[in-house]
Amino acid sequence: MARTTTTRRGLLSGLANGLMTLPAAVVYTGLTVVPVGYAVYYSFTQYNGIPSQAPTWVGWENYARIIADPIGDLRPAAWVTLVIAVVGAFLVNGAALGIAMLLRRTTAFNTFARAVMFYPHVLSALIVGFLWQAILGPQGAVNNLLENAGQSTLPFLADPDWALVTLVGVIVWAQFGVQLVLYLAGLQAVSPELQEAARLDGANGPQVFRHVTWPALAPTVTVTIVTSILSLLKVYDVVLGLTNGGPGDATQTWAYEILAVSFANNKVGLACAQAVLLVVVAGILSFTIIALRRRAEEGAEAVG
Amino acid sequence: MTRTTPIRTAFRVGLVAVLSIAMLVPMYIMVVNAFKPQQEILLSPLGFDLATLTTDHIAAAWQNTSFPVVEGYAVTLFLVLACNVVAIGASVPAAYTIARTPTPLFRFLLFFFVAGMFVPAQIILVPAIFVLKALGLMGTLPGLVLFMSSTMIPFTLFIFSGYIRMLPRSLDEAASIDGAGRQRILWTIVFPLMRPIVATAFILNALSAWNDFVSPQLILGPGSQFRTITTGVYAAVSTYTTNYEIVFPTLLLAVVPILLIFVLMQRHIMGGLSAGAVKG
Repeated sequence: MARTTTTRRGLLSGLANGLMTLPAAVVYTGLTVVPVGYAVYYSFTQYNGIPSQAPTWVGWENYARIIADPIGDLRPAAWVTLVIAVVGAFLVNGAALGIAMLLRRTTAFNTFARAVMFYPHVLSALIVGFLWQAILGPQGAVNNLLENAGQSTLPFLADPDWALVTLVGVIVWAQFGVQLVLYLAGLQAVSPELQEAARLDGANGPQVFRHVTWPALAPTVTVTIVTSILSLLKVYDVVLGLTNGGPGDATQTWAYEILAVSFANNKVGLACAQAVLLVVVAGILSFTIIALRRRAEEGAEAVG
Repeated sequence: MTRTTPIRTAFRVGLVAVLSIAMLVPMYIMVVNAFKPQQEILLSPLGFDLATLTTDHIAAAWQNTSFPVVEGYAVTLFLVLACNVVAIGASVPAAYTIARTPTPLFRFLLFFFVAGMFVPAQIILVPAIFVLKALGLMGTLPGLVLFMSSTMIPFTLFIFSGYIRMLPRSLDEAASIDGAGRQRILWTIVFPLMRPIVATAFILNALSAWNDFVSPQLILGPGSQFRTITTGVYAAVSTYTTNYEIVFPTLLLAVVPILLIFVLMQRHIMGGLSAGAVKG
């Protein structure tokens, strides 16, 4: 008798537990997990997205098409995305860490400066793109200034190579504020006693940074690198505003390829295969970085 | 700290000042040129002539039917609030249960939710559109809210469960002995204690909902009667990118409120971000 009531109570509380997680599970499963499943399924099919025409199973064809790249439209997108992710991550983190070191002390002036460095992040990336397009475009503010000063104009967005550099620059301008906030939070955790002790032992500024501050920042560095690469891999809105992928395909990112090329041309199967590949690459990259950083972080515990 | 020489401090302050100005120049260009005729924008992008300053273009941008400003703000604000209500409302009980039930099943459930943090929203958007079509929610605000909320749930739930785990269990037990039920314990005792982390989640979710462009553009559709700020700006500006009499005033109307909110709430927004990162 006693046993049945406890099992019943266990069952009831299990049911209650299940009910508590139900709303989150339903919304998340329905609109994130199921779509991921569909993306994987569609990636093995040829499908134009029209409900009356069922997807046809084509196996690995979409993936083969991406890797073989017969009309040479995907390699540029992969290259652009790689440049943005690697160069962008370096610049974002370099700028963020450098400025965090400048602004680490909490004074009124520094608090103001932190807000100034961060504000582009509250603007939508699309608007940031449009704004910089108006500043750096062929008719934009900078080129008009140059022209009025009798100089020749600069092809910030008109030349393919310049456009990619400009795009990376704009992304860094808009994004480093987030990593700056993370570095500032990380710097708060670096023990001031340890830094003072190192100074008393005769270490100069760069030495203190290299042997005390930098190792203690290791966990923060992992977080900032992973989060910045994850967000740089899916850059889309800012491209749409700044260059719309041009000139030619010089600034078409992988996400642009998925949404504005494949999906817009009703190649749902191909779009999904590209999306799946991006998620896989993002996952592999994050886990590799986290694994590589583990040693540095163990060092941080020794210092911290 | 006593080591810093005045020259170094001056150098640092000077450098920060120069960088700050560099960050603000684009805003200055936008604000100044929003009040100038095209001719003058082209002639002197940085200067302004008090005699020719005009609010005509702002007024025109305000009346532009591609970007109905007031409605755009209303729709965007609705999205911010509705997505937060759904994402936070669904995550609180789930995170509470997961944090308080240390069985393998619920540990797996947490992992299942957290995995969603690695799935970029715009990547699953294409298949999500088919799910929404099947549900009859494509092109509707509820469909958009559900999709955006589902992308917010993993992070929200993750930071909530971490926070609840730090709250002493004895609180729940004491309330339970006093006869309070689960729901009552959760909403009258635990939830009020979660205020800081709920604020963090609200701010981060609000920023992402406010600035999202791809989801409303694709789920509501370009021809939709509902425009958010971002889809409105896109409709108004994308085909006229060299008509600066349209570009600058439209962008100005789109960013002023969020910048004002940022100035007022700057500490909370930046604090929320670092709190989220430390927990996440």
